[in-house]
Amino acid sequence: MAESQTEKADRIIDKAIFAAAEFQQFDQEQTDRIVEAVYKAGLNARISLAKFAVDETGMGIWEHKMWKNVIATQLVYESIKDVKTVGVISTDPVTGITEIAQPLGPIFAVTPVTNPTSTAMFKILLCLKTRNPIIISSHRGAAKCTGEAVRICYEAALAAGAPEDCIQIIPSGSRDFTQLVMAHPKIALILATGGTGLVKAAYSSGNPAIGVGPGNVPVFIDDSADIPFAVSNIITSKTFDNGTICASEQAIVVEEKTEQKVREEFERQHCYFLSPEEIAKVEKVAITAEMSMSPFIVGQSVEVIAQKAGITVPEGTRILLAKLKGVGKDYPLSHEILAPILAFYSAKDHNAAINLCIDLNYLGGIGHSAGIYANDEKTIMKFSLLINAGRIVVNTPTSQGAVGGTYNLLPPSLTLGCGTGGKNITTENITAKHLINVQRVCRRRINHKFADADQKIYFDENCNETVLTKEYHKNH
Amino acid sequence: MLKFNYNKSEKALTCFFAGRLDTIASFNLCDELYAKLNTLRGTDDPAVMVNDKILFDMTEVNYIASSFIRICITVAKQVPRGNLTIVNCDPFLKKTFKIAGLDEILIVT
Repeated sequence: MAESQTEKADRIIDKAIFAAAEFQQFDQEQTDRIVEAVYKAGLNARISLAKFAVDETGMGIWEHKMWKNVIATQLVYESIKDVKTVGVISTDPVTGITEIAQPLGPIFAVTPVTNPTSTAMFKILLCLKTRNPIIISSHRGAAKCTGEAVRICYEAALAAGAPEDCIQIIPSGSRDFTQLVMAHPKIALILATGGTGLVKAAYSSGNPAIGVGPGNVPVFIDDSADIPFAVSNIITSKTFDNGTICASEQAIVVEEKTEQKVREEFERQHCYFLSPEEIAKVEKVAITAEMSMSPFIVGQSVEVIAQKAGITVPEGTRILLAKLKGVGKDYPLSHEILAPILAFYSAKDHNAAINLCIDLNYLGGIGHSAGIYANDEKTIMKFSLLINAGRIVVNTPTSQGAVGGTYNLLPPSLTLGCGTGGKNITTENITAKHLINVQRVCRRRINHKFADADQKIYFDENCNETVLTKEYHKNH
Repeated sequence: MLKFNYNKSEKALTCFFAGRLDTIASFNLCDELYAKLNTLRGTDDPAVMVNDKILFDMTEVNYIASSFIRICITVAKQVPRGNLTIVNCDPFLKKTFKIAGLDEILIVT
């Protein structure tokens, strides 16, 4: 008799549960040996997996996907290798609190089509470091390359002594089955990286979830900025893997007084400003009627996008820029587009520019990332206090800056927390510390201020907060 | 690694395991264990239930792999519910069985 979907889910999760039971017996040294072996195997496969991903998905640039694989393995490994994730992880004799790390249990990880092999290896390394078995569900458009990344990691893990079934991959393609596994009561946590629907499904599953969805990254070039430097950095970021990183720039905002200089710099660096007629044509191929980006242009080059839109652009154009007058459904290119297309805004003054950034930020990108180019600390802080973003990267390409590990000291991560704005529990870059339960052994340390206060007066209705505050802070 | 003691009056087979029951050790002992169960049931058909009580004594065990957990489940399916008991677990092992969810289908002490 054919196995039902429920039986299949039970079988996969039981295997993960047994792996979890075995894994929690490992000490830090055994765990680290496995992580090191997997990181090395993943790093050695960085080129073949990058080429495989581009061949299968038809998205991005293999040299850039290779760098993503390096970030996901080498940089992530370097950031977690010395982190304690097993047993006692800290002891403070003053507070009397000892922290103990415990694994979570089976983790269900969803990987995207845009960064398939790197995200898989990244999540595998974090899970192994924290002794959690991982079940990966790949995007159906990247099933083969993700499967290959998983195979390479699993074989290396087993050879280093990891438990059987500590890494599994489920067949892609069935949304119902993915949701069945996601909602299984024995899943400890869902690590979902992908589109809005997927992240919503993760949060609706009833299991704890870290779901990271779309962004819509505004970048403000202040008049205090070094404009050629800013433009060069933006191009580096937005053209990286043809714009497939969700932290890539989506809109550039400048003040009227600097508009001409910024425009000229973009043009000098081989970017092309679309005419209103060309904007209308690009909108049709880039954004669907539901105001989401078209999958057919994700990770595509300028040449391909221009061809699809039926426009002609100068040879060697790196980015298409669309000067828009507003934000929202009447301006389709103001939405997130994971391709080398940028919205461009000119605001009458400083405040209007920041207000535009806020509008863009709230158009589907709350909590994700934002960028600012400025050499005035007051402006940087004003912008940062007003923007709702987990990462506000300064004078830095947002793709690389938000991911961390290269341009700043953020933990390198391919899963970027977006806070409550993105329905996440954290705004941090997800790393090993998010995949452990920390138990606290709390030794007796009396709060003498409270213990020595006259407890009776708390029962006296005539004693207001002034009296109680004074009593609490009294020198005994 | 594996020793047996059969108590005829109580119709109870105690299996004494020892050492580190990793994947290889579990693989090596399962044939011997299943052969013993076949002797008790009088046939090598695993669909025929073993009506004797089975005890897995874990006194000398310090580690179990997921393969050993699978062996426990296989044996649990071949005896009436409640007839397989895992005894003398170190708390470390008790927790391992707990995480694996085995206490839902057999007795772990």
